[in-house]
Amino acid sequence: MKGKVNSLSQARDVAQDYRLVPEDFMKHLLLTLGIVAAMVLIASFLFGVPEKQPLTIKAYATQHPVAFEQVALRALDGQGQLANYGPPYNHGTGSVQTSIQSVVGILHPINAAQDFILRPLSMAAAINPALRPSLKAFASASAAQQARWEAAATTALARASDHNGAVVWPAGSYGPVRTLLAATLSLGRSGLMYGALTRDGAVVDRFDNQNALLFLQGSPLQTDPATQSLQGSAWGIIHPAINGYPGAWWMTVPTWIYQWPFVANSAAPDALALILGFVVWVLLAITPWIPGWRRLPRYLGVHRLIWQNYYHDHPGGQAGAIRGEGVHHA
Amino acid sequence: MANWTEASKQRLQIVLSADTWLPTELPEYARGFMYMLGSLTASSFVVLVLSGILLAMNGPTSWSYNGAMRFVAATHFWGVQAFFFFMMLHLWRVFFSGAWRGGRGLTWLLGAIAFLMAIPTAFTGFLINGDLYSQWNAVQAKDGLNALGLGWVNLTDAGQMFGMHVVVLPLILAIIIGLHLTLVRVKSVVPPYPSAPILDEGQGE
Repeated sequence: MKGKVNSLSQARDVAQDYRLVPEDFMKHLLLTLGIVAAMVLIASFLFGVPEKQPLTIKAYATQHPVAFEQVALRALDGQGQLANYGPPYNHGTGSVQTSIQSVVGILHPINAAQDFILRPLSMAAAINPALRPSLKAFASASAAQQARWEAAATTALARASDHNGAVVWPAGSYGPVRTLLAATLSLGRSGLMYGALTRDGAVVDRFDNQNALLFLQGSPLQTDPATQSLQGSAWGIIHPAINGYPGAWWMTVPTWIYQWPFVANSAAPDALALILGFVVWVLLAITPWIPGWRRLPRYLGVHRLIWQNYYHDHPGGQAGAIRGEGVHHA
Repeated sequence: MANWTEASKQRLQIVLSADTWLPTELPEYARGFMYMLGSLTASSFVVLVLSGILLAMNGPTSWSYNGAMRFVAATHFWGVQAFFFFMMLHLWRVFFSGAWRGGRGLTWLLGAIAFLMAIPTAFTGFLINGDLYSQWNAVQAKDGLNALGLGWVNLTDAGQMFGMHVVVLPLILAIIIGLHLTLVRVKSVVPPYPSAPILDEGQGE
């Protein structure tokens, strides 16, 4: 009985009085393919493809030597964003947004001091043996001594200056840290640091550039003038890296959610924005089963424009008899 | 229990039939630009697959340096824009048409899933372009995935992103689009709302 009521209701909701008309479907498909191909080729000829120069370690080290040494120091002393991130990289707490992030645990281990600074320097020491005493002095010092050197270096670098590319520190007791950071800067400027960060002694291919990308992910990328319009708080991803090109505008809804104050100010803004965006998608996806909402289009009346010709030709309402299952394979 | 082979055979006879896929007659209401939007979206996907195959054949370094391959990369880029542009117009058209009526709810749902899957498919493509946009979005978007416990998807691992973008995600997307199109063809496109006054308010909810 219920099925009969449903099919009756469906029949009332769906026009039955329409004709089948001859159509060259293959021509239709080839036409749309031709239209898209032509549009894409013309746009490619006229506009090419946006490609904004990435921020390289070499460029950052060359242009911002003091800031570069500060980034290296924060990796060394564990104060950097990645050094203190938490899962999936390490046991830090700085970027843990949810408990599930902690439960999933460490998947891509990063020890920032070792992986970003000390291991690349030990590789550089193979070419520049003068580095070895400093590396050895740092490694053999107690953690407390290392922390004192690093604290002194942090204070010093806040007052350091750039003299023709050389970082000039105020006088102080920095142990081997000053030498290590100067060597890191040289390695960065040489263009070899990217390779040192993506090193994997076990395989010859380099697919994973995680550490090279994450080394610059904090203030170097955040303060880069080129990324300011890409910041999450500035509607980030929907903007292109080069003005004038389209970005990922289809992400407008989650990006908009990201701007909501209670999301932006929450302790887990990224997780919350993605979850709420997913909820919006679920509501869209289950539209056919949401009472009331699913009937909205009929009341909005836009369908009268879409089927303007049909309604013009069928002004009298449900003229034809209900044809049961309707027309299949049309 | 019903015979599964018989049931599959009957269903496949419809799904694999040339009559299903190459109709010579269509409903009179299913004509004009509004009814090209779905085909334009599907055509954009075809352009993306073709340009994507050319890119994959030559490898990631080719599209960063080689002039001809940069042009192919451009067609891939504009193909994505066309795909989402027409998909969005198609989405609006089918929404305002109440296209889920007449037992077409699953067709709508599959379309919505295709839209959802298209987002990471496009995103992983942006990540392997090698420019500032790749660099920025890899390090920014990782926080959201990590927070949701999806850290195994390592956006800064170009190898994993290449595999996701070239094989995993487009394959899933192609299957979903294929199922969506199959249902569109088997069930046909939704007829208009009856032009009679709305008398059945509340029924069938």
